[in-house]
Amino acid sequence: MNVPSPKKDLMIVNMGPQHPSMHGVLRLIVTLDGEDVIDCEPILGYLHRGMEKIGENRTIIQYLPYEQLGNIQVPKRASYIRVILLELSRIASHLLWLGPFMADIGVAADLPHGWIDKCLDFCDYFLTRVTEYQKLITRNPIFLERVEGVGIVGAEEAINWGLSGPMLRASGVQWDLRKVDHYESYDEFDWEVPWQKEGDSLARYLVRIGEMTESIKIIQQALERIPGGPYENLETRHFDRERDPEWDDFEYRFISKKTSPTFELPKQELYVRVEAPKGELGIFLIGDQSSFPWRWKIRPPGFINLQILPQLIKRMKLADIMTILGSIDIIMGEVDR
Amino acid sequence: STAVILYVYGYNYLRSQCAYDVAPGGLLASVYHLTRIEYGIDQPEEVCIKVFAPRKKPRIPSVFWVWKSADFQERESYDMLGISYDKHPRLKRILMPESWIGWPLRKDYIAPNFYEIQDAH
Repeated sequence: MNVPSPKKDLMIVNMGPQHPSMHGVLRLIVTLDGEDVIDCEPILGYLHRGMEKIGENRTIIQYLPYEQLGNIQVPKRASYIRVILLELSRIASHLLWLGPFMADIGVAADLPHGWIDKCLDFCDYFLTRVTEYQKLITRNPIFLERVEGVGIVGAEEAINWGLSGPMLRASGVQWDLRKVDHYESYDEFDWEVPWQKEGDSLARYLVRIGEMTESIKIIQQALERIPGGPYENLETRHFDRERDPEWDDFEYRFISKKTSPTFELPKQELYVRVEAPKGELGIFLIGDQSSFPWRWKIRPPGFINLQILPQLIKRMKLADIMTILGSIDIIMGEVDR
Repeated sequence: STAVILYVYGYNYLRSQCAYDVAPGGLLASVYHLTRIEYGIDQPEEVCIKVFAPRKKPRIPSVFWVWKSADFQERESYDMLGISYDKHPRLKRILMPESWIGWPLRKDYIAPNFYEIQDAH
């Protein structure tokens, strides 16, 4: 059976590597029919730096995989400090995402410049600002119209495409590695996993705002309950780590005890995952007996979340591409590595 | 076919697919990490599968039709190590430019000459 040739002319547009909306360098070849998008093909690789190849010749200190390889006990206070920093960086990342996304939609919102010394003051200030944003943005009809029903992903599809992070939670799947994996003393805090059911851009936005609020709750609880006194800075953390593993097992030797310990990696492989703000960041490390890893693979959440873009864009208007791209929350540096 | 069996067992999330070479001059391996996403699960079970391929003509059937998240990841394994995946819809280089020759992450890869500015003597 012959495939009939298309009667209308389809226009192919190249949205080149640089955009004014600051997503980074991503090239999209979009096939248009008037204003509707038929297909698109993303082309990556503009920022590829060969991190994994470089990593094979370096001893990079990454605390998480080495901890599990050696069963080192993390002291309790370091764990609390780490939770605070992780959550703060999660908020920072979400705020960074919020700025350009709002600029796309056409609402002028500025980031709060509230990084004060005491985190608690920041938290209170932040809560008022977040409620202010919510009033300003979530009821705004222009925003809602641009964002509702745009770029819908179902739950089954989201799992099949391998999405993670806020994108997965916005499609109705309650999957958060912080709850599932029980790492880093997250269990001791009382918090919920924000999730939505629809799977469109509005749901993703709501999930991210919800995550920021939950992060504030976690930080407040952690700050109240931090053992051993007030907040201290990271130098103490290094000292804590170096002094513990005196009782290590035989495969480990500290070659230097000063600032950067170099490990001898045993011949094992390990996959460690973390819930980054963008999704699930995984590191797959294969060690051999030298101090360099044999293969160090990063599983970047942005790379995997980007795969679904051609499917989301079909039948949407041209102007929605930027909205959808923004709601996927991509940093090209991690996509290309 | 093994992939279909696993999918039927309920491992519906291909978390990561990567490739590495086992020994210089030896086989190439392609690794798949799978897990199961369900509601209310605690400490999910995971499976890690490795497929070995000979270095001369590495060809592995693609699992894209089972788990779509293998799309870009298999392209990256192809790009970096040269393992070609059969029946993948768009197997092209993804991170390196299309006209690049060679497989960068193999251990026997020689980086091409970079001409640096040198002082004239």
